[in-house]
Amino acid sequence: MEFLSRIFTIAIASIFVQNYVLSRFLGLCPYIGVSKKLDSAAGMGMAVIFVMTLASTFTWLIHNYILVPLGIEYLQTIAFILTIASLVQFVEMAIQKMAPALYKSLGVFLPLITTNCAVLGVAILNIQSTWPNGDKFNFIYSVLQGFFAGVGFTFVLVLMAGIRERLDKAEVPESMKGMPISFIVAGCMALAFLGFAGLKF
Amino acid sequence: MSAMKEFTKGFIKENPVFIMALGLCPTLAVTSSVENALGMGFAATFVLVASNIFISLLKNFIPSQVRIPAYIVVIASFVTIVDMVMHAFLPPLHAKLGLFIPLIVVNCIILGRAEAFASKNNVYKSILDGLGMGLGFTFSLTILGVIREILGAGQLLGFNVLPSSYQPMLVAILAPGAFFTLGFIMAVINLVKKK
Amino acid sequence: MKFYLKLGAILLLIASIASGILAVVNNLTDPIIKNNQLETEKLARKEVLSLAITFEEKIDKDFKYYCGKDDNGKIVGYTFVAFGPGYSSTIKTMVGVNLDFSIENIKIIYQAETPGLGANCSNPDFPDRFKTLTVKDMKVDKDGGKIASITGATISTRAISDSINKGLTSLIKAVTNKEGK
Repeated sequence: MEFLSRIFTIAIASIFVQNYVLSRFLGLCPYIGVSKKLDSAAGMGMAVIFVMTLASTFTWLIHNYILVPLGIEYLQTIAFILTIASLVQFVEMAIQKMAPALYKSLGVFLPLITTNCAVLGVAILNIQSTWPNGDKFNFIYSVLQGFFAGVGFTFVLVLMAGIRERLDKAEVPESMKGMPISFIVAGCMALAFLGFAGLKF
Repeated sequence: MSAMKEFTKGFIKENPVFIMALGLCPTLAVTSSVENALGMGFAATFVLVASNIFISLLKNFIPSQVRIPAYIVVIASFVTIVDMVMHAFLPPLHAKLGLFIPLIVVNCIILGRAEAFASKNNVYKSILDGLGMGLGFTFSLTILGVIREILGAGQLLGFNVLPSSYQPMLVAILAPGAFFTLGFIMAVINLVKKK
Repeated sequence: MKFYLKLGAILLLIASIASGILAVVNNLTDPIIKNNQLETEKLARKEVLSLAITFEEKIDKDFKYYCGKDDNGKIVGYTFVAFGPGYSSTIKTMVGVNLDFSIENIKIIYQAETPGLGANCSNPDFPDRFKTLTVKDMKVDKDGGKIASITGATISTRAISDSINKGLTSLIKAVTNKEGK
C-alpha cells in the first residue's frame, strides 16, 4: 500500500507540483525550440520519456554500484553525462536497425536529447531525492521518477505546441512575434502550474 | 580589430541569451537575485574560457569521430572543478545555485562554442570568444536578475532600494516572473531592432 | 579495427587525465568542505544553546545529538540537527532544546528554497515561531499544531516543523532511556 501511495506521490510531484519545465526550469531549450508543431512536440516527448527512463536506470546503477563503492562520487557529473551521451547514441543505432519506422519519427530528436538538461537533471535528482523520513530513493523509485519526469515534460511540451499552433493565427503585436510571445505563454502556463504547489498528500 | 570583434559580439549582436535563446535553463532558474545571477555567470564564463582554451589546443589531436564525447569530458571536468571549488570557498552561493552548477555541462552555449568556434580557431581567438560569450551571458543574467530582484523583493544585491511602502511583486521572483521578464526583454530588443 | 582502437585509446587517455586532475582538486577541496560544515554546525550549536560552553557528542542507535554543558559540567540542554525535504531542497535545521524538552532556539543551517517564499525561513525572526514550544505543538497550524507557517510557503515550514518533531521525539526517547538505565 505504501508502495502504491509513494508511486502516486512521485507521479503527481514530477508531472504537476514540481513540473520539470515550468517549476524546476529544466529542459527549456527543447521546450521553446521544438514546440512549434504538435506532431514534432509529441515525437520529442516520446523520445525524452524513453531516454529519461533508461538514463535513470543506468545512472542509478552506476552511482550506487561503481562510484560509491570506489569512493569517487566527485566524478558523478562526468560519469552521468557520458552515460547519457552513449545511451542516446546506442538507442539511436538500435532503433535505426530494429524499427526504421520509429526511427523516422523519433530519429531527428535523439541527438538533441544529450544536451537536454532535464535528462541530466533527473539523473542527479534521483541520487539526491529523499522521502520525508530521510530514506534515499531506491532503484525502482528512481526509474519511476525518470519515467514520470519525462511524462511531465511531454505533457507541457504538447500543451505548449497546441497553444503555439493557434498563436500563429492570432494577431500579435509585431515586436512580440515569435520568441517573446512564446515566453509570455510559458509564463502564463507556469502561473497556472503554480496553483498545484499547494497540493498536499 | 577583428580580435576585438570576437570579444564584443557576445554582448549584443550574438548575445547567447537574448538573441540566440541558448542556455535558457540557468538563465531563468537562477536569476531570482542579482547575486545568484553573477555567481552563475562567472562560473559559466570560467568553464567556457577554460574549455575553449583546451579544445582549441587539442583540436588537432582529437579525431573528429569522437570529438563530441571528448569535448563533453573536457567541459565536465571544468564544471566539476568549479563545483568543488565553489563548495569549498563559497558554500552559501553553492547552496543557492545547487543543481544548476553540474548542469553547466549541458548548457548549449558551452558545447556550441566548442564545436562552432574553438575547434576551428587558434587559442588567442578562442579565449576572446569564450570571454565575450561568457560575459555576454553574465550580462544577460544580471539584467534579468536586476529587474526581478527589484520588482519581486524591492532589493538590489540584498539592499533595500525601494521605499518600504512598496509592496513586493512576489510573482517576479517566482517561476512565471522569469518567463514574463525574458519575454518582455526580447520584445523590447525586437522593437529597437526594427527602428 | 585498428582505427577504432585508436579512437577508444584517445578517449580513454583524455578521460583518465581528466579524472586524475579531478582527483587532485578533490583532495584539495574536500577537507575544506568538510571543515566548513563542521565549523557551521559548531557555530550554530553555540547559537541555539547559548548557556552551554562545551558540547559532548552522543549517539543513540542512528540518532546523533549533543549534550550542552556549562562551566561546571552540568547538562543545560541538548542540540541536534533536523533535516527534511522542503519544496526544492533538503532543509537542515540546528535545534537547541532545554532540559524540559521545550525549544530554546533554532537555526536554519542549509536551505535552497524559493527566494521570497520558503527562503524566508532564514530570516532572523523566523526562529521566534518555534521558541518555547514542546513536541506536541510542533506542527504547522494547518495540521493542528502551533507554528504559524510562512505566507505561501507551508511546504517549507511543514518540512522544518515535522523534521524537528521527529528529532525531538528521538531525543526524548534517547535521553529518558539513558536515565532509566
